[in-house]
Amino acid sequence: MSDRKLPRMLQSPAVILLLIWMLVPLSMTLYFSFIRYVLNNLRRPEWTTPSISNWRGLGNYEFVLKSKDFLFAIQNSLLIVCSILFLTVVLGVLIAVLINKSFPGQGIVRVLLISPFFVMPAVNAVLWINMILDPVLGLQGIAVAGINETVAGLRNTPLIGGFFSLWPEFNPISFRATQTSAYAVIMMVTWQWTPFAVLIFMTSLQSEDQQQKEAAILDGASAWSQFRFLTLPHLGRPIAIVVMIQAIFHLSLYAEIEIVSRGNGNKNLPYLIGEFANNNIGAASATGIFAVILANIVAIFLLRMVGKTLME
Amino acid sequence: MGRIVLENVTKSFGSTEVIPPLNLTIEDGEFAVFVGPSGCGKSTLLRVIAGLEDATSGKVLIDDEDVTEISPSKRGLAMVFQTYALYPHMSVRKNIAFPMRMAGMSEEEQEKRITAAANSLNLTDYLDRKPGQLSGGQRQRVAIGRAIVRDPSAFLFDEPLSNLDAALRVGMRLEITEMHERMKTTMIYVTHDQVEAMTMANKIVVLQAGVIEQVGSPLELYHRPRNKFVAGFIGSPKMNLIEGALAEEQAAHTIGIRPEHLSISDKEGLWQGTVGVAEHLGSDTFIHIHGIEGCDPMTMRAAGDVSFNHGDRVYLTPDATQIHKFDAQGLRVE
Repeated sequence: MSDRKLPRMLQSPAVILLLIWMLVPLSMTLYFSFIRYVLNNLRRPEWTTPSISNWRGLGNYEFVLKSKDFLFAIQNSLLIVCSILFLTVVLGVLIAVLINKSFPGQGIVRVLLISPFFVMPAVNAVLWINMILDPVLGLQGIAVAGINETVAGLRNTPLIGGFFSLWPEFNPISFRATQTSAYAVIMMVTWQWTPFAVLIFMTSLQSEDQQQKEAAILDGASAWSQFRFLTLPHLGRPIAIVVMIQAIFHLSLYAEIEIVSRGNGNKNLPYLIGEFANNNIGAASATGIFAVILANIVAIFLLRMVGKTLME
Repeated sequence: MGRIVLENVTKSFGSTEVIPPLNLTIEDGEFAVFVGPSGCGKSTLLRVIAGLEDATSGKVLIDDEDVTEISPSKRGLAMVFQTYALYPHMSVRKNIAFPMRMAGMSEEEQEKRITAAANSLNLTDYLDRKPGQLSGGQRQRVAIGRAIVRDPSAFLFDEPLSNLDAALRVGMRLEITEMHERMKTTMIYVTHDQVEAMTMANKIVVLQAGVIEQVGSPLELYHRPRNKFVAGFIGSPKMNLIEGALAEEQAAHTIGIRPEHLSISDKEGLWQGTVGVAEHLGSDTFIHIHGIEGCDPMTMRAAGDVSFNHGDRVYLTPDATQIHKFDAQGLRVE
């Protein structure tokens, strides 16, 4: 017994600290989610202090489930996360394969490719929404205006003028609008996180066995077959890892959503929690519990997927 | 059919010439072994034949057809690599099927060939395993299976046994030789191990620094090495090469005598020396003898168990008919 006690005692500070770190916030959230707790209410001032006497049972959960944004926020969370995952993995694999061949300037190209990853999320959002996607002042506005001008100029030329007069006038898209703000977020986060995928895939590609490729060449495999049957299976594990890490990060996107449209037409669960937390802490906590459940469901799926590839 | 001819083939990497102009003919059905010390260009030569490296100049002909500019997969050659190069994500069955699948062969034909190859290579029980679950010898058999099903005009082996342990190596050596006897297909086999070369080949090509030192049957190379390099490289333990006074007595710059052509006595003989280390193998004893001028230590091979102690004074007598003579350039003199 005694030779087991000492190691346990020595471990206990770390374990206890971690438990406090995790359990206290979680149990406080649970507690708040079952009581009426608001920051400001002139008619019922007793609700502004957390107390067991303000017990509301599952009322907060009911309130959240019935609120018009809840289902939308869950759908939107999944849409954003899945789109980003799909785009970063596809782009990451393609870019990694492309720059894995040696060419002059390889080092500089690699550094440039990684650099978006070092931009802060809020800066990234400001940069994209104001300088790139803005329909008037951004690159998008300038590009669309340029195309329209060119087309207008070509309408008067002989021969091909008739063809261009059939073209419509293009309108720039406002990415702060209700219908498009989610796409703006997907775009900017994809831009920022593709380098992460490239980095992981590139290191993995460098460990690919060259003799296998030579064997495949002799076996008559085309470049596509080599990619499909050798490179892609080889990248299975890193893809699983990239998907898992990114899913964890992107479920909690906040800064980009706030900056692009302040949640207009584009909410996810963390953003909804933020909105509730302006006043209704009880509802925010209930949403937080839903978010924990969603994160766990996603995590179980992902861990299964990663586990499967690791077992092979 | 699989007659492979190399005409003035050279290979340079940048400004370093690895293979100076080289001519070689390997007849259909031959088992040719490229042997030489590491870095002698034997693997590069094999890769040039396979098409994995382009020849810098010269021509590669297979069955009188110039394939120098033809892609590796169209040359009709199959290669077995040192690291096996199996596809780790595919089962053994899929590994063996891969070249046929790439060639768009029908499912029935694929299945037929897989079954035949698995039977001849004792892989039937492992067809649904992944390469990672197989031993080294089994993996190499899968690699050979993958080569066989293509029905190639020639097999290329790039040091296929180097990653196996000694016992397995002997077994696989026999299996590959047996396979050649059965199939009668041209095989080119690269190794640095002269024992493999001697036991397997019809034709040995000894290479050094990209240059062919000698081409011939194993026994031809053993009995009539063309120069000092071949004399020292072929045969185990190595031939004793003696320079100086003892060689001049025979009117040569260097004389060579194989350890098995020396007889030892504690009473009388031609050359006198002292016993160093004696290696007892049971069937043979290799005795290293010091103090003989021009070759120190000299190795001799005695059949059976001979008991000489370290420091004993002994006499060696060479078999006069088995002495090889070389001139100052290292070439054989008759």
